[in-house]
Amino acid sequence: MAMEQDEILRTPAVWHPGDAREAWRLKEAFGPAGVYVAGGTLLRTQWEAGVAEPPAHLIDLTAIAGAGEVEMDGEEAALGALVPLSVCRSHPAILARYPLLAEAARVIAAPSVRNLATIGGNVVSRVGDALPALLALSAQLVWQAGPEPHACSLADWLERERRAPTPASGVLVQIRLPVPPDDTTSNAARFFAYHKVGRREAFMPSLVTVALTGRIGADGAVEEIRVAAGGGQTVPYRLDASEAALRGQTPDGKTLAAFQACVEEEYEPKPDLFATEAYRKRAAANLAAAAVWQAARDAAAGRKG
Amino acid sequence: MLLNRTTSGSRWRTRPDGPGKVTGGLSYLTDLSLPGMLHGLVLRSPHPHAAIVSIDASKAMALPGVLAVLTYADVPGLNRFGIARPDQPVFCEDRVRYIGDAVAAVAAETPEIAVLALRAIEVAYEPLPVVDDPERALLPDSPLVHPEGNVLHRNDYRTADVAPGFAAAAHIVEETYVTPRQMHTYMETEGGLFVPEADGRLAVYSATQHGFMDRMQLARILGRPEADIRVVSSPIGGSFGGKDELNVQPYGALLALATGKPVKVHHSRWESVRAGLKRHPMKIRMKTGVDANGRLLAHEVEIVADKGPYATLGAEVLNFAVEHVIGPYRYDAVDVKSVNVYTNNGMSGEFRGFGGNQAIFALEGQMDRLADKLGMDPWAFRRLNLRKTDDAGPLGQPIAVTAGASQVWEALAESELWRSGTGRGSAGSGPGIGATGGKSAGHDGSGEEGIGLAAARVEAKTASDRGQATAGTPAPPWIRRGVGASFVMHGAGLGVGIPDPAGGRLRLAADGKIDAVFGYEEFGQGLIASLEQMLIEQFGFAAEDVRIVIGDTDVVPDSGSSTASRSTSMMWQSLRRLRGPFAGKLIAAASAALAMPADRLRVGAGGIRDADGGELLLPYAALAAATAKAPVIAETRFEFPRSPVDRVGAHFLYTYSAVAVAVEVNLLTGRVRVADQYHTVAAGPVVNPQGFLGQIEGGSGMALGFSLTEDAVMSGGHYLTENLDTYLIPTVAELGGTFEVEPIETLPEGDEYGPRGIGEVGSVGLAPAIASAVYRAVGKRVNRLPIDPALLQETDGWY
Ligand SMILES: Cc1cc2nc3c(=O)[nH]c(=O)nc-3n(C[C@H](O)[C@H](O)[C@H](O)COP(=O)(O)OP(=O)(O)OC[C@H]3O[C@@H](n4cnc5c(N)ncnc54)[C@H](O)[C@@H]3O)c2cc1C
Repeated sequence: MAMEQDEILRTPAVWHPGDAREAWRLKEAFGPAGVYVAGGTLLRTQWEAGVAEPPAHLIDLTAIAGAGEVEMDGEEAALGALVPLSVCRSHPAILARYPLLAEAARVIAAPSVRNLATIGGNVVSRVGDALPALLALSAQLVWQAGPEPHACSLADWLERERRAPTPASGVLVQIRLPVPPDDTTSNAARFFAYHKVGRREAFMPSLVTVALTGRIGADGAVEEIRVAAGGGQTVPYRLDASEAALRGQTPDGKTLAAFQACVEEEYEPKPDLFATEAYRKRAAANLAAAAVWQAARDAAAGRKG
Repeated sequence: MLLNRTTSGSRWRTRPDGPGKVTGGLSYLTDLSLPGMLHGLVLRSPHPHAAIVSIDASKAMALPGVLAVLTYADVPGLNRFGIARPDQPVFCEDRVRYIGDAVAAVAAETPEIAVLALRAIEVAYEPLPVVDDPERALLPDSPLVHPEGNVLHRNDYRTADVAPGFAAAAHIVEETYVTPRQMHTYMETEGGLFVPEADGRLAVYSATQHGFMDRMQLARILGRPEADIRVVSSPIGGSFGGKDELNVQPYGALLALATGKPVKVHHSRWESVRAGLKRHPMKIRMKTGVDANGRLLAHEVEIVADKGPYATLGAEVLNFAVEHVIGPYRYDAVDVKSVNVYTNNGMSGEFRGFGGNQAIFALEGQMDRLADKLGMDPWAFRRLNLRKTDDAGPLGQPIAVTAGASQVWEALAESELWRSGTGRGSAGSGPGIGATGGKSAGHDGSGEEGIGLAAARVEAKTASDRGQATAGTPAPPWIRRGVGASFVMHGAGLGVGIPDPAGGRLRLAADGKIDAVFGYEEFGQGLIASLEQMLIEQFGFAAEDVRIVIGDTDVVPDSGSSTASRSTSMMWQSLRRLRGPFAGKLIAAASAALAMPADRLRVGAGGIRDADGGELLLPYAALAAATAKAPVIAETRFEFPRSPVDRVGAHFLYTYSAVAVAVEVNLLTGRVRVADQYHTVAAGPVVNPQGFLGQIEGGSGMALGFSLTEDAVMSGGHYLTENLDTYLIPTVAELGGTFEVEPIETLPEGDEYGPRGIGEVGSVGLAPAIASAVYRAVGKRVNRLPIDPALLQETDGWY
């Protein structure tokens, strides 16, 4: 009893490492008793719901030098893992280059939560609503999971986690995004779409998320297409087969129907109390097909005008 | 004329409690604390149904910082509560019947120690079979929630045999309607501060809708005289019926008396979900027949309501539903059967609309379906069957005569929204599902698609937040718009057979303020604002002259409960009764003080004024000083007007309303968006324009949740939606469409009842109107709320 009383009455110790390596070292030292905290928004919902107890040690990542910065150069963008979602939603350079990410951030939680919540926390949660957008943007992750940082692709990491979730020991330091090619001089039309479906219009957990980016060529064919889907407790992933079904095709009724059927087949969402697997599959397939339909229409209008 | 800020002119006033509420400056009762106060927590059952084998509190009691651990053995008086029928245990003795049932309570020095103490109480349970389906609970072999059986209340109403009507009917519609377990979701969860006073009395600072009812029940539980208890109950951060029954009060009171120290109790959201009341989930089966001309011949109804474990006002809610499934229409024969069934699910009880929401969703659904079968415009079909002005009420009872029914019918028919194209059974202005060759899965395809099915592509007025429709450009083809309507006749007051007192007091206080003293509660509905406005407009006082005194049993008279859309109506009637006597006494006193004839004086802003010129002759403070020995005071007591019949629950005063709504259905996701709303309400004069609008808008917001997002889902007696991240109430994104309110203020010559209640009616009509609009958008009938998007999703036909 006395033990338990102490447990309940104490508050976690909070550590403020100044760089990622130190943060990782602390985590190594504490093991499961140490938990990284960024915005703390997801952690608090877990404590509130009783699915996790507050740990003995919180390793606060907000003091890590540079982790809250957005850097851009000609080849890529580097988003610090501690960049808040409110910044992802409104940063001029992100809005200009990665409107898909800005759109995803726009529909996560609500303003007060977005001010605290970080993009890194969203990624590390493995089911964050920003993930399909980051997948469609071919994001790379930079981790500090040892003395030296290393990079891997978001898609690979998520794929591994989807198959066999591992308790993360490393610090996510950065998210790197390649710069989209500049095709303002060509006749091709770039498009993007991000959809989040929930049980109300705003401030809700997702049932389905879908992100697409692509390019319609001067001849009206789909030259490039990337589609990713997630939502709820589904770990998001790229829909490779669906992409292949559309790539190089002219999106007429028949191709779109085939693409839609392919998404419905390839996307395997986890059902819950609130929506069946069938509903989620149809929603993702419908939204993806409708986005391509709209893009083709806009591209055709653009070629005319 | 539409009611809004512009049309209200100078009658649009800033509500007195508004600034404090929007700035957060106002302290609610759950914000109160005292030095040295203890923290109270209640141990609730982990099982929906179980026998209690033993309770051992010794370990909890031994914890440092724990001052009291109470169980049923510590209740000095009646170990039960409940307004209508005290059957809910304060602490369970040998049986728990839902997961909110209380077994013990602790008071400790800190909230953390209180949590520990709860964990240290050892209760041995023997789980019993869980009764979680009201229909199965009625079967002879069902386990029993109570030894007397699983039926709380049955109420049948029959005017004649319905069989001949069905035999003669040209069309019959048979449908079963299912409504959700809606949660009140007040922002302020239940709580309060309980203070043993130096003089041995107990002060209770905790929200309720009827302070004197709480005082009576607490006295019964504590085994003390009512006079030893003071209940302070306003301001309240929302109630909607949910704080009508006792909740934390018995525990706070018992703990405070046991420890002799102030005790604070305040539910977390989860505890509020777990222990609190919800709207009764109902399953309503209806069979209704019409002749070839559209006349209603027979109407047969069966209502099964899920009561949960204890009575609350479940019988009264069921009675209300019986009255409202008959509603505003004439039938040759009506046969209603109803039952409210005990289960081990969450506790159902009082909730804004009081059974009318469920009943009218079903009834209006029938009217729409029948009109379709007849090939008639649904609104014209309603008119054909509407009760006439002098007709009796739904239960054949005499009711106060108004032209409200036909007035709201006509107002809606003329409204821009209803006429905006799709309303009058006109052919659709764009392709519907059928026209685009899509399939309408789930629709019974009974050949009615053509009738009034107007699924227009939307020329969206506002950009939807998903960018699906941007200003000026046509909406994408997967967005389908439809306009629907519904009709509401809603009773106010508690009805025949239930004590329904009313009254209040006006007094010139020693400091010169005019005290308006009423036993009503302010829970956000704007009662203070409405009372102030009536005092200004009816008496000529200035806002600064008056002080509103409510929510304290030590100082207010018993004005009856703040429920059943009755408070504003009763305040208006009270002031009408008090106007002559109170103004007369003020003037008589002023006449004596000023040595001037009474007919040269009048009551006005700031004090007594010259009847002709209007100059201020005697400020109220001076008048108060002059009358210090015999203060000016006037009081009234009366009963809410009731119908002279012997039918328990039958109402006498009714509010009429008609609602039109435009929805947009997204075929990709099946989600419904409410775009535009029009509500016309015939409820007599508008006492307070801002309050009126607020009640209709706010009520409609709740109805929107009831229709589209809200359901406290349970499985095996356990809540699966434990917090507001899964129980979803509408946000500003849902409530963003246009909203028009058109009050109809005229009452018949000689009507003495004045403004009718509007506190509930706004929450009733939207759901059936949405269902009707969805049908007009996509040709599918909705019979279950909240609407399941999977029903409306289409995999093709939308591009
Ligand atoms: C009310 C509310 C609504 C929400 N709505 C949404 C929503 O709509 N969509 C959505 O996707 N999410 C939602 N969330 C969840 C959460 O807010 C977001 O996922 C957010 O982005 C998490 O970021 P954070 O910085 O707060 O993470 P934290 O809570 O600090 O951490 C989350 C997890 O990631 C780990 N972690 C955080 N940063 C790092 C890092 N740099 N390296 C390694 N591990 C790390 C933590 O140890 C923890 O396990 C909501 C949360 C709340 C409270």
